[in-house]
Amino acid sequence: MTGVIVAGVTLVAAVVVGLVVRARNGRIRPSGGSSSDGAAPGGAADSALDGLPTEVRDAVTGEAAEVTLVQLSTTFCAPCRHTRALLTHVAERTDGLRHVDLDVTDKPDIARDLGVLRTPTTIAYARSGAELLRVSGVPKREELLAALEPRLPDAESAAQRSE
Amino acid sequence: MSAPQAVDPRGPRFAAIVTTVVLVVVLATGWWPLLAAQTVVFAIGAFVGLKPAPYSVLYRLVVAPRLQPTEEREDAAPLRFAQAVGFAFALVGTIGYASGVTALGIVATALALFAAFLNGAFGFCLGCEMYLLLKRLSPRAGSAS
Repeated sequence: MTGVIVAGVTLVAAVVVGLVVRARNGRIRPSGGSSSDGAAPGGAADSALDGLPTEVRDAVTGEAAEVTLVQLSTTFCAPCRHTRALLTHVAERTDGLRHVDLDVTDKPDIARDLGVLRTPTTIAYARSGAELLRVSGVPKREELLAALEPRLPDAESAAQRSE
Repeated sequence: MSAPQAVDPRGPRFAAIVTTVVLVVVLATGWWPLLAAQTVVFAIGAFVGLKPAPYSVLYRLVVAPRLQPTEEREDAAPLRFAQAVGFAFALVGTIGYASGVTALGIVATALALFAAFLNGAFGFCLGCEMYLLLKRLSPRAGSAS
């Protein structure tokens, strides 16, 4: 009898968790301000860069992109592959946007320092090292671009400014 | 890079549903030989390969011919890892039931059921996406922190 109850409770709990995960999948969570998520970057630009794990700092400062999408992946994660394909595609077509896939299978320290529990998690960083937003699961292309737009060099407005 | 083995993603989904049913029956009846059999099923998937895993064979023989063929393919590594996680829980559960520590058997089986149901119903592979968390919690992962 105990077993039946445990089975029932387990299935109900799994439904709840499944619905929460489904709702969170690909949803964009803005960072900063309330600094809710784990290792929150500091206010000043310098300290934001200093607070990052070396691999992430190198990724953010490696090329002069306005925004770097740092994706944390593991070998054992199927959605990581879908995310990588999507973000590579998006970054190729978007000025000022760069995508770096960090395989942290053997580097759980990085994930811990960033307060990441789940892969894929994608974190967008400004060039200053400031964290802009996070996405768990496979991001939705349109929503991601819309959220990053204010940070990216806009081709049209750049053209207007030069006139 | 070795060419990754790829599988029809609906096969593992089907396997997860069968696993869910099996684990519910185990919990309801406390009949541990069934859990032992499920443990062997997990072990084949994790350590031998997905192709010879019993539920995959069942999928290919019975289910796949009735479905539209799909071009969609999924890498096998995450799936085999998930089977290994299931194997660990099922093994602990079997030992619990068989040795009379029924509470251990129930808890371990419930955890395996939780993961199998999430996979079958939502397509969410708990063990795969929580790998980092598992690694952080496991005592062996003491890589100079």
